[in-house]
Amino acid sequence: MLAAVGVIASAVWSTYAEVEDARRQRRDASDLARRLTSLKLVTFEYALIRQERALAQYREISNRIDGMFAASRFQGPAQQEIVARLRSGRTLANQIFDELAAAFQGETPNRADLEPSRNFEAQLLSRLSILQQDNLSDVFRLTDLTTEQSNAAQQRLLVVILSGLALIALITLGVSWLIHRDVLVPVARLQQAAQQVAAGNWTTEFGAGGSDEIGQLTRDLGRMTQALRDALARVERSNQELAALNRELEAFSYSVSHDLRAPLRSMDGFSLALLEDYGVRLDDEGKDFLRRIRAASQRMGHLIDDMLSLSQVTRSELRPEPVDLGEMARGIAEALGQRNEGRKVHWQIDDRLTVRADQALIHIAMQNLLDNAWKFTSRTPEATIRVGMREQDGRQAYFVADNGAGFDMAYADKLFDAFQRLHHAGDFPGTGIGLAIVQRVLQRHDGAVWAEAAQGKGATFFFTIGQPEHEHRRPGHPAG
Amino acid sequence: MNIADQGILLVEDSPDDAKLTLRAFKQSNIANPIALVNDGVEALDFLFARGAYADRSGKPLPMLVVLDLKLPRLDGLGVLKAMRADDRTRLIPVVVMTSSKEDRDVVASYASGANSYVRKPVDFAEFVEAAKLLGIYWLMLNQPLPAHFAK
Ligand SMILES: Nc1ncnc2c1ncn2[C@@H]1O[C@H](COP(=O)(O)OP(=O)(O)O)[C@@H](O)[C@H]1O
Ligand SMILES: [Mg+2]
Repeated sequence: MLAAVGVIASAVWSTYAEVEDARRQRRDASDLARRLTSLKLVTFEYALIRQERALAQYREISNRIDGMFAASRFQGPAQQEIVARLRSGRTLANQIFDELAAAFQGETPNRADLEPSRNFEAQLLSRLSILQQDNLSDVFRLTDLTTEQSNAAQQRLLVVILSGLALIALITLGVSWLIHRDVLVPVARLQQAAQQVAAGNWTTEFGAGGSDEIGQLTRDLGRMTQALRDALARVERSNQELAALNRELEAFSYSVSHDLRAPLRSMDGFSLALLEDYGVRLDDEGKDFLRRIRAASQRMGHLIDDMLSLSQVTRSELRPEPVDLGEMARGIAEALGQRNEGRKVHWQIDDRLTVRADQALIHIAMQNLLDNAWKFTSRTPEATIRVGMREQDGRQAYFVADNGAGFDMAYADKLFDAFQRLHHAGDFPGTGIGLAIVQRVLQRHDGAVWAEAAQGKGATFFFTIGQPEHEHRRPGHPAG
Repeated sequence: MNIADQGILLVEDSPDDAKLTLRAFKQSNIANPIALVNDGVEALDFLFARGAYADRSGKPLPMLVVLDLKLPRLDGLGVLKAMRADDRTRLIPVVVMTSSKEDRDVVASYASGANSYVRKPVDFAEFVEAAKLLGIYWLMLNQPLPAHFAK
């Protein structure tokens, strides 16, 4: 393309130079014509009045004309021939003029011998005039020729420009056809395929594509779609597996809840029947064995129940609504007090602890946290349990704090795993499921739970609900 | 007719559970005669005097049905639905008694017309308590409606 433009430009340039050249030649020719005409007039004037001034003028014009001939750059064989003829014509004319001038100057006032010389002068003059006329018509021929030459050059320039334009148009057409074939069509096809994929039609084929960048892009997109397709299929498969697993878990816990508890009931029930009906025939150790059987059965019953509620927390649907944690805590506290009338606990529960959460699930979490606080303060004389909220890192962290048994923070990370306990069942009974349930409830609310505690100095359980909201990050906000 | 003369139908497939339930009733001083059937089909045969229980036609219906949910052949909910669909048994109080703590069982039971839902605890002492409450509530207080209220 660039090369083509270069060729065209240089063609235009050289043709333009030709045109310029032809114009200059024509100008030179018409100059010559003008000077030759004036020369002719001066010759005539000199012949009439024979003054030195006319003679000088003749010489001057003549010299100029000769100079012009010397500098002339006429081209073409016809022009050269004319120029050659003009040169010799000029030389001859100058000779004749010199003779004539000599004849005029040698003249005497004596009229008697005038006759013969007059004849000679007249001859010279007429020859000169014919010669000058010939020269003039040669120059006019030259003018005509150079005019033709200049016209022809101008036409050539026009042709060159037009064909240059045509060439550029052709090249443009060709290039755009190539772009169309190699770029636009594949890009349009690519776009169509991409739209298909975007519309969810994952089986769209991108085709092989050419060897250029677009072909490469096409193949890359094809590979990308294939990879996505595979990934999607994998996700689909694992989703199905997950759904199957969920159904299995559901069936499993259903059967656990029905079938695993039945034998425990028999163990407990018949042990008790044995104690009641045949107690008199057993010594104390025999009765103790039966009590242990009952305790173990009941403990296993609780374990099963706790396991089931853990899996229920995971499975149940989330229905968030505004919930006042303070009000909820007061209700739970009251129930705890009623169930254990011998205990005295100071409750400090803040107002306005409204969160957006699933009422039932958050109740399970609060119940577990307060149960723990209640349980682990059972050996503390001045038991205090606080429920409140404090700003932490721009987030609202709700907390349940007690001044009970506490625990060593070194084991804090184990706390939230199922069946993990930091205290012995003899000191504080339990199954170790409670905090696992709490964590799962809060995870389902996009929240988190963590603990701060010290051995013998009580424990505080913090939790957040939902993603952090930036509106709480206002500077100068009073700490909760 | 004396309340204590009216029978209780216990629908329970597990012999252990049946024995323990009978014991709990006895300990709760529920003296009513108790009939025991082992699955849902038998329960309906008993109630509608069909099949093995054809000879029961004309005899009074039980005043309380204690129903396990998980039963062979026809399950507890099936029995409940069949009872509520028949005018003869529509008003008999039914207490669903089961191991399950699953919400869907509770909901389905009440939706099918159960009057109470009792979860059989592992601790037998608790079970006796529950049976006692049941006896007081359904046998003493919740007398069957007179016939003209039946619609
Ligand atoms: N308020 C608390 N004070 C001291 N230790 C606690 C407290 N809450 C929980 N823990 C520790 O975390 C363990 C796990 O708690 P949890 O999962 O509720 O099980 P459980 O209450 O059945 O023991 C407890 O056994 C105890 O060691
Ligand atoms: Mg706990």
